[in-house]
This record gives sequence, structure tokens and C-alpha cells, in this order.
Amino acid sequence: MRDNTLKYLLVLPAVLVVFATAIWPLIESLRLSFTVGRLNRPGSLDQYLGWENYTWAFSQEPAFWNSVWITAIYTVLTVALTTLLALGLAMLLAPGGRFRSGVQTLLILPFAMSPALIGVSFRFMFNPEFGLFDAFFGVMIPPLADVSWLADPILAFAVCVMADVWGWIPFLTLVLIGGLASVPQDTIEAAQVDGASGWRVFRDVTLPQLAPVLAVVIILKSIFSLKTFDQIFMLTNGGPGTATQTLSHYIYFNGMKYGQIGYAASVAWLMVIPMIFLTYAYAKFVFRKD
Amino acid sequence: MAKVVLKNLTKRWGDFIGVDNQSLDILDKEFLVLLGPSGCGKTTTMRMIAGLEEPTEGEIWIGDRKVNDDLPKDRDVAMVFQNYGLYPHMTIFDNIAYPLKVRGTPKADIAPRVQKAAEQVELTEFLHRKPKALSGGQRQRVALARAIVRTPKVFLMDEPLSNLDAKLRVTMRAELKHLSRALKITTIYVTHDQIEAMTLADRVAVMKNGIIQQLGTPDEIYNDPTNLFVAGFIGSPAMNLINGSVQDGHFVTTGGTKLVRVAASDRAQVVLGVRADDMRVAEEGQGDIDVRIYAFENTGEATLLTVQWGKQRVIAKGDRHLRKDQDDVVSISLDPDHLYLFDPDTGNRIT
Repeated sequence: MRDNTLKYLLVLPAVLVVFATAIWPLIESLRLSFTVGRLNRPGSLDQYLGWENYTWAFSQEPAFWNSVWITAIYTVLTVALTTLLALGLAMLLAPGGRFRSGVQTLLILPFAMSPALIGVSFRFMFNPEFGLFDAFFGVMIPPLADVSWLADPILAFAVCVMADVWGWIPFLTLVLIGGLASVPQDTIEAAQVDGASGWRVFRDVTLPQLAPVLAVVIILKSIFSLKTFDQIFMLTNGGPGTATQTLSHYIYFNGMKYGQIGYAASVAWLMVIPMIFLTYAYAKFVFRKD
Repeated sequence: MAKVVLKNLTKRWGDFIGVDNQSLDILDKEFLVLLGPSGCGKTTTMRMIAGLEEPTEGEIWIGDRKVNDDLPKDRDVAMVFQNYGLYPHMTIFDNIAYPLKVRGTPKADIAPRVQKAAEQVELTEFLHRKPKALSGGQRQRVALARAIVRTPKVFLMDEPLSNLDAKLRVTMRAELKHLSRALKITTIYVTHDQIEAMTLADRVAVMKNGIIQQLGTPDEIYNDPTNLFVAGFIGSPAMNLINGSVQDGHFVTTGGTKLVRVAASDRAQVVLGVRADDMRVAEEGQGDIDVRIYAFENTGEATLLTVQWGKQRVIAKGDRHLRKDQDDVVSISLDPDHLYLFDPDTGNRIT
């Protein structure tokens, strides 16, 4: 057997697995997005509709637009908060920062939890009867003593954001610590001697040199925020009402609960559009030749 | 423009002593070189003056102000770093202008001053490039220009030439010397290169293990070393250090050969220091002692003879026209006016 043939034979199983679990479902979902695609109607999976599912989403579905907005606000808030807090923590934890590096190990813990588990634990902690956070906020901020967190649209959304930020800070902090460590110390010292205050050293010297890493962090986090599903599913299940229904959750509900597989597939493909932009930007930053 | 005074300065990290109870007065407009091997505390001393490192004990005065509690930005010093410390995201112009910008210099003043500093280091054609596009020597000039664009009280230079290749280092050394004479600003210069120290300094402080071994002009350091360490550190090739004893006013080698007359009382153990320049090389039998050549090197401007002297090897400098070969025997004489005797136990100079 020639080396070349063997080479392809050896990768074949992996290629088959990827094809069966990723590529074929992708193609199939694209096909389904152009069909009537009702799970409870036999034959509808092959009944072609053209672009109707897509136009339906834009023109006839306020719930679609609701989830687009929820996802947008959720993404902007979680990306901004996580990045800012992680940057602050990284500054404190980086070599030469104020804290000992032993703390870094503790920091990774939230990231070790699965998002679904984070969702469940936050739901318990905001439970009005026995929730730890519910009690804590009640004592710290008396006006919040009697609120039912997950029953209030705005507060429930805030809890979702909080859980996500909490879960993602460790990873972003570790990446940013790495980024900070690669900023040459002598440029920082040069700026100090040149006469810059702590803030100006950060703004003029540290931040610009951290920018490529920061950009990667922001893009990555945006991708993850956009596709958030499991945490929300366990924490609020999109509620109260549709107050925390992100796009992924909306897609899941339409596809799995209402059986509108064709429509769900079309919305899923709509979501691919921002993802492509982000992935392209990410690839550009990570693989840039510099 | 100011003098710098260190009073009982100490830096410790746990049990490790970086700088040990060091006092030093650096005069106004003086060019002082801190010279020593790596780990001797010279860079730590400079970083404490800059404010980048906090002293464990002791005081630092710049001008008539104690600066121990001042941030680097408030000490009015300018520093040139070993790795230059240029801001990679800024153009050369912005790099040089940065100390002016952060100190609130009026915008209209910045451009002419950057231009002038760039002219002084011959960099004017590169002002719109980024540091990455420059060679090592050019980056070094940018770092210099950034330091001289203001008129600070003190210049601090941390091994500024050590990342340059040998040829460029000689050129830059001369330029540095010219510039420092022209600017007349107190300068503290750290190096492990004794030639830089000799050529640039008004005074040199030779350091070892966090302690200044000798403080003096380059002349004094070279011609009048106070101990074995300074004697061995200064000069290229290094001073020869030969073990022996003093008997009847003469130096006697461990092998028993009676050599030159020395002005010292009898001692069982001494170390004789003699520079390669102060040894005369003659044909076999025509000098003080016959020795076998271990290696013969011709540098062009002179010849260097490494000879086997009992169990030791000694380097003598010969005439540039001398031609010998390995294992030839030559005779060596020592110049009695340029000999140094040291106590082998304390390392201190006897005569």
C-alpha cells in the first residue's frame, strides 16, 4: 500500500465522524430552513417554501425581534463587564501587580463549572425562600429585600448577565495576565521615569501594547455571548415571559417545543451572519502577520 | 543640574543583599561610572536612584531634596535602558516627545525640541518610522534622544551600549562622551565593561557584592588599585597575579626563583600584581626568568605571550614585530616601578 493511501485511510475515521456530526447536520439544517419543516406534519420536511421562513422571521414575529434585542443587549453588557473586570483583575494579579500569584489558581474555579451548572446554582441562590444571594442583597440593599429576582423581567435579565460575567471572568483574566506579561517591563519603567503617572503609563504604554490581546478577548467573548444557551435555559428558561429569551433559546423553543424545525433552522442561519463577521475578525487578529 | 548623594543605602531581598550600606557623593555635572561584574549591585543602585526600586534602608538625595518617597516621575531624572525601552506603538518622533508631552510642555515647543534632540544624535530622517524599523544602533540613539530632549537633573544610563556590536559600541562610546561633555549634566552610568568605564568616566566606582571597592579617577583605578579585585578587574588583558613571598626585600616565586627588588618587609605569602605592559620580553637567558611559551598571539598592534610560570600562566605583551612559537623559551623581566603587592588573605594592597 502506498504511503499516500495509508495517510488518507488513517484520517478517514475522523473525517467521517466530523462529517456525520457537524457537516451533514449543517447542510441538512440549511435545507430544512427552506422547507415547511413541521415535526408534527408528515412529509413537511420535504415541502419546499423558498425564502418564506426567513421573511416570516423579519415581518411576522415580534418574538424574533425581541430575542434579537435581548441577545444584543446581553452580548454588549456581558462583553463590556467581563472584559473590564477581567482587565482590572489581571492588572492586580499580573507579575508585579499587587496580589500574590497563588490567588490565580483559585480564580480558575468558576471556569471549571459547566454553564448549565452555573445556571442551576444561580437559580438556587436567587430563590426567594432559601437563596443565599437573595438574602444577601436583601440585607445589603433593603429596597431589594422583598423582590422576587427571577420573576422581575429586568432583575432576571440582570441575574443572567451576572451569572455569565461571573463564569467568564477567570478565563479572560488568565488570558489578559498572559497579555500583560508580554508587555516589556522596560517600556513601563521608561514611561515612569519619563514622567507619566500610573494612569498615563496604563493609557499610553500598557493598553496600546495589550490591544491585540484585548481585541482577541473581546471578539472571543462576543462569540460566546451571542450563542449563550444552556446557562439561560437552566437559570430562567427565557422567562419571565420572554424577558431573557436569547436567540439560541428562541431557536430551541421554536424547533423543539413547537416542532417548527424549518423555521428554527432559518433563524439559526440568520444568526450565522454576525458569527461570520466575528470569526473573520478573530482569525484576522490571531493569524495576523506582524 | 544637581549632585546626587547616597547615604548608607541598602537593598535586601530576604537574605540576599543587593547593595550593602553604601554611601556615595556624586558631584554636580560629574560623569560617574558604576563598574562591576553582574550581580554586584550596580544596576540596583541606579534603579533605586531612578525610583524603580525601593531601598531597604538609607537615603537618596538629588540636589537638596530627599527623594526616597518620590515617584520616578517626580525625581526629574532621565534614564537610558539596556534594552532601550522604546514604545513600540509610537513613532520615533512620539517616542522622543513623550517625556515632554506627559510633563505638559506647550505643544508649540515640542516639535522644535524633538527636532533638536534628534539632530544631536543624527536621527532626523527616521522621525516618522516605528522603532521596529530601526537598527540596534539607531534605537540606541532614539533612547538617548528621549533622555536629552528635556534637561533633567540627572542622567541615568544602564549599560546603554551592551546590546550593540563591538564596532558600533566604539563609535557610540565616542558620541556619548562628546554629548556628555556638551550637555554638562550629572550622569550616572552603569557598565560591566571596564573600557567604557575608563574612557567615559570622570570617576569610577568599582563594585563587588554590593560594596564599592574603590572610588577614583580612571587613572587612580588603573594605576593605583586598592585591592586584588580592582587590580584583576581593570585592564585588558587582566593584571597578572603571581603567588610568592618576600625575602630580603626581593619577590621570590613559589618555585624559589628570586626576582625583582620590592619595597616591602619579608612575608611568607604575597601576591605580586604586574600588568602585561610592564613586562619586558627578551631572548632566552637575557631577562629575570626563563619561561616556556604556552600560546603566542599576534593582535596586529602588539603580541601577547601566555607563558607557563611554574603552575601559573602569565600574560606578557611583546613588541609587535616579535615572532615566537608555542613551546619556545623566552626570558621575562619585570619593571620594578610598576609592581603591586597584595595580601592574599585580605586581598588588600601592601605596596
